[in-house]
Amino acid sequence: MALGRWGGPGEERRSLPPGTKLILTRPAATVPRAAGPAWFRINRVQERVLGYALITPVALLIVALIAYPFLNAIWLSLTEKMVGYPAHFVGLKNYAALYESPRFRIVAWNSVVYTVGSICTKLVIGMVMAVALQKAVRGNQLLRGFLLLPWVIPTVVIALTWRWLLDLYRGLFNVGLHDLGIIGAGIHWLGNPDLAMLSVIMANVWRGFPFFGVSFLAAMQTVPQDLYDAASVDGASAWQQFWRVSLPSIKGVVAIVTLLSTIWTLNDFNIVYIMTRGGPGAATHIFATYSYELGIQSQRWGMAMAASMYSLPVIALLIVFVVRYLHREEPAS
Amino acid sequence: MSKAFRWILLSAAVLALALALQPASAADVKMTLWRLKTYIPPADKILDTSIQECGKKIGAEVTIQTYTFDDMWTKYTAAIESKTLPDVAELDAVGPARLANLGRLSDVSDLVGTVTKELGELAQNAEGAVKFSGKFYAVPHYAIPLILFYRKDLLEKVSAQPPDTWEAINEISVKIKKAGLQDFPQGFPWNRTGDGYDPAMSLLWSYGAAWVDKSGRFTGLPKDKAVQAIKVVTPAYTTDKTAAFDYLSWSGSGNNEAFMAGKIAFTPNGPSILFQEDSTKHPLRKDTAIKIMPKGPAGRNLALTFVMNWGIPVDGKQQKEARALVACLMSKEKFTTYMTGSFQQAVPLFKSLINHEYWNTPDGKVIAETVKLGRPVGWPGPTTPAAAEVVSSNVLTDMMTRVIVDKVTPEKAVEEADKRIKEIYDRLPVK
Repeated sequence: MALGRWGGPGEERRSLPPGTKLILTRPAATVPRAAGPAWFRINRVQERVLGYALITPVALLIVALIAYPFLNAIWLSLTEKMVGYPAHFVGLKNYAALYESPRFRIVAWNSVVYTVGSICTKLVIGMVMAVALQKAVRGNQLLRGFLLLPWVIPTVVIALTWRWLLDLYRGLFNVGLHDLGIIGAGIHWLGNPDLAMLSVIMANVWRGFPFFGVSFLAAMQTVPQDLYDAASVDGASAWQQFWRVSLPSIKGVVAIVTLLSTIWTLNDFNIVYIMTRGGPGAATHIFATYSYELGIQSQRWGMAMAASMYSLPVIALLIVFVVRYLHREEPAS
Repeated sequence: MSKAFRWILLSAAVLALALALQPASAADVKMTLWRLKTYIPPADKILDTSIQECGKKIGAEVTIQTYTFDDMWTKYTAAIESKTLPDVAELDAVGPARLANLGRLSDVSDLVGTVTKELGELAQNAEGAVKFSGKFYAVPHYAIPLILFYRKDLLEKVSAQPPDTWEAINEISVKIKKAGLQDFPQGFPWNRTGDGYDPAMSLLWSYGAAWVDKSGRFTGLPKDKAVQAIKVVTPAYTTDKTAAFDYLSWSGSGNNEAFMAGKIAFTPNGPSILFQEDSTKHPLRKDTAIKIMPKGPAGRNLALTFVMNWGIPVDGKQQKEARALVACLMSKEKFTTYMTGSFQQAVPLFKSLINHEYWNTPDGKVIAETVKLGRPVGWPGPTTPAAAEVVSSNVLTDMMTRVIVDKVTPEKAVEEADKRIKEIYDRLPVK
């Protein structure tokens, strides 16, 4: 029996008699459109109008909330714009001034160190977390929920907590290490330029690793057990199973999570601003805190926008990677 | 039409008529006032009560919004661009210059005249922050002076007198450290907080390293004097090790906490430490003392960075009521109530009250005297937008940390700072 429109809208679903042979025919939609009857062409036009009508609110929202601010930011970066004054077009002058500024070079380098340091550490800890939680053990669910806590706590609270933890005199780290007899005097976590960078990275890692861990764990649980069984039969060790089975199977998720987190970390503001305000000196100043200093404190919006825009090529490149990767994954899935 | 419906219709018509004929009530005039949230909540409460009482008196409903020193300019920046400044704005030391330069503040010369009649002549050093081209653009409210806090018990232990110079602070700090009383007694944070940039200005000016002339025009940072000033304060971090690197990352309250925890012997701060120790019956209160900030070879030129002023933005729709509200808040009765309940935080800038008996205590005299010696931001010229940006862009404290953290020479740090200040004054020329 040939089945054309089986169980379409408004039709009652019917069960096939046993032994019925299914023959699928070409769907009607593949018939050349121009050749269709007049009522069909009108329907197509109406459909198109309806489509545009439905998409218009979303498109307007995107234009108003994303495109306009973004294009405005680019425009402002090309102007000498002080808060309250009209903007004057200066071309690439702001970019050139920043490029020549030794202070901005420090900021750019700090941003790279902060982002790369945070992402690499989160990647490793997240992977360890996922592998550790992959096995079904007692209390596993509770542990998973507990490990998600840093991800759900507001960033401001996290930054203030870490600030207290690393306080020279009253911080848990110094008091603990001192009481254990490991250190004689307090460590200047937030005062020493190198340790200050390490400290803000630690806080960022603590906030962000659950996102990595939970995403990796979810991906690992989709890997068929057969693959592990087969590997086990072939004599693969636990490490080999991870390296040869788990990792290749979840590489898509690893890539997406890493790229997304890189974008977020590169734009991070709260942790650094609350913990060090970019100090000591400019030792932890990153793009976001420097832009804030220029834009809000010094009221130089044009320059602040230009400072932010310097990270744009990297972020744009990462977004292109993410989108292309997702498109590449789609047919496979 | 049913009987019930006719009754409902009639009742609605009577109600509408009654509402239309009702006289204008206080709630018809709605105003917004933005003020600073200080470290002394009881003082804030008194001010809020006064604001509401004054609002009632002038027939206006006043909505109060607050900000701290840290987020003040975030709020103002957004409001300037969106033209939504409040009816009455409590502005910091650089606020009147910035907003007046934008043409966003009303001329309040008449209001200053009214207040002067009641509170006496305006202190000369307060004028620079609010008077431009012969007109007043804000009414000075009060000043929070930065004073030197020290531990008198520790100074007694090392047989030292309270310091009057920066060099003396260094010497005593070394003695305290050597005596094993504290590891890092010197709590001067050269960072992006008011406790960082206010002493930085006072230090440079007291060493004769001002960068403008009396008209407020850039003349250059005197290199020798600035280098001399830097060489006095940076060894605490670099060679003497009497200051901890962590102090550079303090927030606005970091030095308060360290002082009250007994970890430092010296720190610059507003009177809030006294309030906090008094209100908590702190064991260190008896050992806490204050002094006017140190002098330098060029005298004692202390920055008045924390001066609060009432401005009336032109954006506000209730101009008349805004003036009446400020006049009421600055009446002798209201201001005295606020001043005497401020735990010596609010030092008046009008002469009759600065000589009030309230300040006739050992601590009060130090606090009031500090304000009398204060110089407006932009000294020896008036406060200008360029002077404001020198403060807000942290040029001066960056100069210190370049030496302390990045280990550049004081000479190079001064050259860099001079270049940055020049760029600011070139961009924002003094009219």
